[in-house]
Amino acid sequence: MLKVENLHASVGDKEILKGINLTVKAGEVHAIMGPNGSGKSTLASVLAGNEKFTVTEGKVEFLGENILDMPIEERSRKGLFLGFQYPVEIPGVTMANFMKLAVNEHRKARGEEPLTAAEYLRLMREKSAIVELDAKLTSRAVNEGFSGGEKKKNEIFQMAMLDPKLAILDETDSGLDIDALRIVATGVTRLHTENNATVVITHYQRLLDYIVPDYVHVLYNGRIIYTGDKTLALKLEAEGYDWLINNHQER
Amino acid sequence: MGAQPLSDGATLGAGCWYALLDRDYRIEVEAGVTASLLLCDSEAVADVEIAVGRGSVLNIVRVVTHRSVLTHDVTLDEGAECNTTELVLNAADTRTTATFIAPFARYNHNGVFILDDKEEGSVTVDVMHNVSDCTSRTNFKGVAVEQAHGSFEGTVYVAPDAQRTDSEQSSRNVVMGDARIDTLPQLEIYADDVRCSHGATVGQMDADAILYMRQRGLSLADARRLQIEGFVSDVVMRASIESLVEPLQELLAVKFNKL
Repeated sequence: MLKVENLHASVGDKEILKGINLTVKAGEVHAIMGPNGSGKSTLASVLAGNEKFTVTEGKVEFLGENILDMPIEERSRKGLFLGFQYPVEIPGVTMANFMKLAVNEHRKARGEEPLTAAEYLRLMREKSAIVELDAKLTSRAVNEGFSGGEKKKNEIFQMAMLDPKLAILDETDSGLDIDALRIVATGVTRLHTENNATVVITHYQRLLDYIVPDYVHVLYNGRIIYTGDKTLALKLEAEGYDWLINNHQER
Repeated sequence: MGAQPLSDGATLGAGCWYALLDRDYRIEVEAGVTASLLLCDSEAVADVEIAVGRGSVLNIVRVVTHRSVLTHDVTLDEGAECNTTELVLNAADTRTTATFIAPFARYNHNGVFILDDKEEGSVTVDVMHNVSDCTSRTNFKGVAVEQAHGSFEGTVYVAPDAQRTDSEQSSRNVVMGDARIDTLPQLEIYADDVRCSHGATVGQMDADAILYMRQRGLSLADARRLQIEGFVSDVVMRASIESLVEPLQELLAVKFNKL
């Protein structure tokens, strides 16, 4: 599904990713953890195609195709979804209108006809139920006046609408209370199948109680310095990152 | 109730009227009625003078889709109210002057200009608070893309006797590419017991919002168009003649498809 080889990326002349290697197969859940400033969000942005970052070296293959020269919207239509850490407010643009355009762009890319109004409404109703998103929110402007929890639910709602092959969720759990966390995490789990894959970037073990990862990677200073299974997250929660970082520096 | 064509020199009672601005009009709205007026330009120089009678409400929608030069004078008698919605979608020059001649009247002006290519357009909205106890609100939004150049000017004048004037004026603008917008909201206040505010902004499109929409699969062009639509949509949604909201949205869509 996703194959990242020796990926280097910078913003301005500051190198942030310094040789990332990561392989994600269909059906897998990967968690990426690591201290602040280690490059987690940059990795998510670079994979999604944010032009603020320059890829200086390496390769990213998604579904067998090199995507580094592909604009962000094409990567999206190919099935790559990024859940934003800070979902953006777009005044005056309703969720319903926005998602209709997005869904139909995805359908067009697959050679399908646009949805009829009735089909679209049915899809919206069905998908908003997955994250217990108040149906009224879809008639409001995108993220405007949404609470922190609603914004994150709205990210997962959009993920459900677009049915991506690979979802990268950038700190979807930050700023959520326990109930909202449960709803968001359960929503993600329900969307997971053996044909898609999920990469969750998180600081906290608690998200991984719901979304059980097959692999846990620790990102530090622009590199993945350690990969383990789900027990690694528990160990990190208890002991912090120091033992790993010290180990890494000694080597 | 169908709309009737406007004739020069008419005194309007309650009802709906329309006019093509290919000539000048001088009209009155009689006291104590509610009237609606749709004005469409036709690539001409035209002057419209309207006197709104005591306690009357006049709702105006002005649609400018040609390269017209329009002047517009509204005088408001005691307790009168005039609500103007203005859509400028071409390189036009429009000037509105609202003048209060008796207390307790209200003037609202909501509008938007959207200019593309090399269009140059300018909008002026002046409000003359010559007497006390009147209220005015001006909200104008401007969008200029490519090499367009737009300008908004608005002066709120408050005469020495115009105590308890309540006035707000706002000019918000978005530019893209090499486009330019000049905005000059001004206050001239000679009374001391007043509440007046004004503000102006000129900004670029929100790059984060564009990125967000593209991540969901929208093309750059669609994301920009949607953002501009979002920026100006409230002006049309709150058009002073409610039955015109949909046709106005369609007019906007035609312009947006060109951007």
